[in-house]
Amino acid sequence: MGRYVVRRLLQVIPVLIGVTFIIFCLVFALPGDPIQALAGDKRADPNIAAILRAHYHLNEPLYQQYWHYISGVFTGDLGETYNGRAISEIVSERFPVTLKLGLTAFAIEAVIGVVAGILSALKRGKFLDNVVLVATLVLISIPVFVFGSVLQLEFGMSLKLTPVAGIEKGWPQSYILPAIVLAATSMAYIARLVRSSMTESIRADYVRTAIAKGLPRRRVIGVHALRNSMIPVVTFLGFDLGALMGGAIITERVFNMPGLGGQLAQSLYLRERPVVVGLVTLLVLIYLVANLVVDLLYAVLDPRIRYE
Amino acid sequence: MRGAKSAKWVAIAAVVALGATACGGGGGDSSSGAGKGNGVVSVEIGEPQNSLVPSNTYETEGGQVINALFTGLTKLDASNKVVNAMAESIETKDNKVWTIKLKSGYTFHNGEKVTAQSFVDAWNYGANQTNAQQTNPLFSHIQGYSDLNPGEGKKPSTDQMSGLKAVDDSTLQVTLSGAFSAFPSQLSFTAFVPLPKAFFKDPKGFGEAPIGNGPFKMKGKFKHNEQIDTTKYDKYPDASKIEVKGVNFKIYSNPDTAYKDLVAGNLDSLLTIPTSGLPTYKKDLPNRTIDEADSAVGYIGFPIKYNKAFQNADLRKAISMAIDRQTIADKVFLGARTPADDYISPIIDGYRKGACGDGCTLNVAKAKELYKKSGGLPGNKLELGYNADGGHKEWIEAVANQLQQNLGLKVTAKPFEQFQTILNDLDAKKYQGAFRMAWSMDYPDAEDYLRPVFSKDAIANGSNYSGYVNEDFEKLLVKGDQAPTHEDAVKFYQQADDVLLKDMPYIPVYFYTLNAGFSDKIKSMKVAGHQILWDTVKLS
Repeated sequence: MGRYVVRRLLQVIPVLIGVTFIIFCLVFALPGDPIQALAGDKRADPNIAAILRAHYHLNEPLYQQYWHYISGVFTGDLGETYNGRAISEIVSERFPVTLKLGLTAFAIEAVIGVVAGILSALKRGKFLDNVVLVATLVLISIPVFVFGSVLQLEFGMSLKLTPVAGIEKGWPQSYILPAIVLAATSMAYIARLVRSSMTESIRADYVRTAIAKGLPRRRVIGVHALRNSMIPVVTFLGFDLGALMGGAIITERVFNMPGLGGQLAQSLYLRERPVVVGLVTLLVLIYLVANLVVDLLYAVLDPRIRYE
Repeated sequence: MRGAKSAKWVAIAAVVALGATACGGGGGDSSSGAGKGNGVVSVEIGEPQNSLVPSNTYETEGGQVINALFTGLTKLDASNKVVNAMAESIETKDNKVWTIKLKSGYTFHNGEKVTAQSFVDAWNYGANQTNAQQTNPLFSHIQGYSDLNPGEGKKPSTDQMSGLKAVDDSTLQVTLSGAFSAFPSQLSFTAFVPLPKAFFKDPKGFGEAPIGNGPFKMKGKFKHNEQIDTTKYDKYPDASKIEVKGVNFKIYSNPDTAYKDLVAGNLDSLLTIPTSGLPTYKKDLPNRTIDEADSAVGYIGFPIKYNKAFQNADLRKAISMAIDRQTIADKVFLGARTPADDYISPIIDGYRKGACGDGCTLNVAKAKELYKKSGGLPGNKLELGYNADGGHKEWIEAVANQLQQNLGLKVTAKPFEQFQTILNDLDAKKYQGAFRMAWSMDYPDAEDYLRPVFSKDAIANGSNYSGYVNEDFEKLLVKGDQAPTHEDAVKFYQQADDVLLKDMPYIPVYFYTLNAGFSDKIKSMKVAGHQILWDTVKLS
């Protein structure tokens, strides 16, 4: 398995180079001028704009700009924004916020989603099952920003249980509401996923055998049935961890959190190529690692799966 | 065996996940929840575009912070008049050589005395192209500016403008390259504040924790996208007039969220109520709102310089007369705008109510007549460009509908992704249609509504995107610059304004209004030039 992990990690390098180049091209192709963007609605002074353009190599062709960027990255320099801040500083400032938000959301959706799915599968057709089905349907169909605003109004403004926005109160108070909003849709999907694959497992031969052997119910459900039902769920969770990090754009905006999502949106708007590339690369890395962990977990869940 | 091993795996994964989420648990900031009694006021701003260097701050978000941290030579009072701040007196005989005496007692927050040299150094830095400061062109009136701006690829031969001279510690002599009567007014802009010696040693570090000479000093560093915390500077000469003990600039990316925070009592001041809050803000914030004219003007512009169809003034006037400004102000903007009737904002000395007259009043019959007389547009088609990122869709579409109905034109509203993409297309002479435009003042003077938007010079480095040129207009501006008194200057600027009203290079459509709100922690406050006047803030 060690060789498998090393091979997978080595694959990351070409993926990263490819991804950074593609993103760089995409941002390059967007219309709009980053130096004019610095001046907002007023016209940038032509002389100053020209000096800034030369300083940031903006007059050079795409491949040269990419070369400036990527050679910087290999010497450990992520470059600077067009208003002179180090990108590494921005990332280290903002990544923790998104990481905390994403992992909180991840924990919420994994725990609540799986538990709701199991309960619903065990009580199939009963009242509880219907509650879960309706609730998940509602969560899937409400747009994120609507859900976020409703929670803000209810818990932040009316009941004053949590802050309305910002991260001043730190974890968990400031993070709990946005994390729930961020987790909501995936949580509903997971509950449904667990429900259907559990339903299948419960009826399987090996579960009947386990029950016939006289094993306690908790062990039959928790180990025999659940473990086999987890493969699709783990696959989904793995992909979702990456998606949570990137998908925080709307949530972070609604709750005014200074995370990567907001920075990514802002940098895209300002045409800050190096920042966009840096942040997306980071997200891709998280995605790749999450997927590697998922693949390794398959072997844990199903002993028949082995890696060479 | 296998089971035990895999259980361990899952357990490790779970621990990692939990550990990572818990790691920031202690990060709670105790400075929040300001409480009613401690005199600290929180204010909404957006993330400043650049770090907090005065000469590199050309927008209102950072401008608000600079205004609290620094005091310049002149400032605005509650009625938008320019009054002396750090200047004891400003004197001139010919509007060209200005002698400015400084008040004593001002120190920077690190204890350094503010002298005439502090201004000279700061302005020389701001005007030098090597430093690529956003407000660089504002210094262009000062003699010697061109030496510091030889152009791209060339190095300035000196780093000092010949027009700046610190006669002694408290006397500053400024020579301009030509007469400019609005100079004291221009000095109220935040780019003209003094800088301490510490700045020049480390401009980058300074931008994260500026040392000013104003009523408030930084408390810690600029926390990007979160907040800028300041506390009152006790050695400020007018400190006794300021009730507020500190200002906490809270940074929001979304005005809707800021509004919710204001209503919930987590924020004390919001200068721009978002559209979502406009229908209810007077009820949400009883007796805690401010509604007054703001400094900005919204226009519809035409690419006169390369689209022949728009070169006829009657055509532009016909379009102007077919627009129902009142409906747009009331229905589309819910009262957050007022119909424009001049090129100069109502808060500025020189504004004349109804100056635009018939030209800005809905008159369908006359509009039709003028349109016919002008020869009309090719194919009776008009395109209206706007940037889709700034909430302009609704009013542009309303104008499109009105023109369609009133003039029988085929009007299409054309969204551009960003304002810059319109500007790029205009510069490249690619875009043939009309476009939305706006101007907000840098300093409260009629001149600032004319020269930077409509003069010949403004084609290259201002907001004259239509390429309008009128020599009479240029001459009247110069006359205004040379006028011996402020009143005379205003008269000439008004005459220049009349030329514009006749030619209508841009159609003035609406004036912005300031719709602000504050929390119950504040009893009253005044705003001028989109900045809170800190000595007028009274706490309850």
